[in-house]
Amino acid sequence: MEELVVEVTRTDEKGNPKLQSFNVPKDKVSTVLEALLYIKENIDPSLSFRYSCRMEICGSCGMEIDGKPHMACSTTTESLKGDKIKVAPLKHYNVIRDLAVDIDGFFDKYKAVKPYIIRDDENVKYESELLQTPAQFDEFIDYSLCIKCGLCMAACPIEGSDSDYLGPAPLAAIWRYVADNRDQGAKYRLEIASGPEGTSRCHFVGECTEVCPKGVDPSYAIQKLRGSMVKYEFQSLFRRH
Amino acid sequence: MVEENVKNLREGPMGWVKFYRKGIGYFAFAMHRFSGLVIVFYLYLHLFVLSHLLVGKASYNSLVTSVTYGPFDSFLVLDVLLALVIFYHGANGTRLALNELGIGLHKNKVMFYVFEVIAMILLGIFLYYAYMFLGAS
Ligand code: SF4
Ligand code: FES
Repeated sequence: MEELVVEVTRTDEKGNPKLQSFNVPKDKVSTVLEALLYIKENIDPSLSFRYSCRMEICGSCGMEIDGKPHMACSTTTESLKGDKIKVAPLKHYNVIRDLAVDIDGFFDKYKAVKPYIIRDDENVKYESELLQTPAQFDEFIDYSLCIKCGLCMAACPIEGSDSDYLGPAPLAAIWRYVADNRDQGAKYRLEIASGPEGTSRCHFVGECTEVCPKGVDPSYAIQKLRGSMVKYEFQSLFRRH
Repeated sequence: MVEENVKNLREGPMGWVKFYRKGIGYFAFAMHRFSGLVIVFYLYLHLFVLSHLLVGKASYNSLVTSVTYGPFDSFLVLDVLLALVIFYHGANGTRLALNELGIGLHKNKVMFYVFEVIAMILLGIFLYYAYMFLGAS
């Protein structure tokens, strides 16, 4: 049977990275996650990585595969070409063990943008749901597909040089709510986005969009957010306080 | 273990040059930073040379002739490279400014190629006229 070499960047007892290679059976349909599970079940049960849904929904199996952030469960080994694949933990995150990284920092940034609908009349009880036209729905739906996998945070070079930068997914989340006509939290959101760690740090590299498995296009959202902020600031000049 | 790994998190400027499996946007970004640094360096160099005028004409002339002396002016090569980075930086900067205003957002990669091709044509025209000017003087 043909074999594939999987070179994994693991952590030693001191927490330092070390490379270890494993041979797994090669076929046309297996994913990188399945290759890792084969290693765990048949070669080394101590190999650590995170996964759950196996269908690109939970967002937990993000890792760097052949030098680029990917979801292990939706990347087939066949698509990577060659007889050797390199698997490493995502960059810009603390490694807990082997391929499992600490995503707390990312989630904290995500929570900071209040990723839920904010209403001025939040104590009012509605008789029915807030209706939207298809056009209003289309404005934000693509940005709501984010599965919080954090691949974009690992791909962004600005995130790699400044850990305080909010990053692509949280900023895309801000745009998702700003673009939603039911939301009334624009003032709060645009203040975060226009802060020192907001959109001004983005250099429109576009790697976040390149790696996003769900087609969220964070780099586009960030530029749209910039436009909204300019409009908002301009209007606030004429607004009575 | 987590604390020990914090030091490895930041990639620093060396991260800019890791182009492997990255898109054209990454190349544009890295080159923009590099060309920006070259331009800032040149600005200081330029001010340093000009500051010799404060001392006097002789001081300035001796500095300028000392670096441009010889049958082949090697500084001319650096001048051409400087023009290259300025044209590159200007074209990419214009594209980014338009993108940030919401213009051509979904066509940003095509815009990069178009703007850079135009910039390189303008660079060629500039160098041609600069060469003619030098030949005439
Ligand atoms: S924007 Fe895309 S890459 Fe970033 S966390 Fe969401 S799904 Fe993942
Ligand atoms: S295992 Fe859930 S996204 Fe890959």
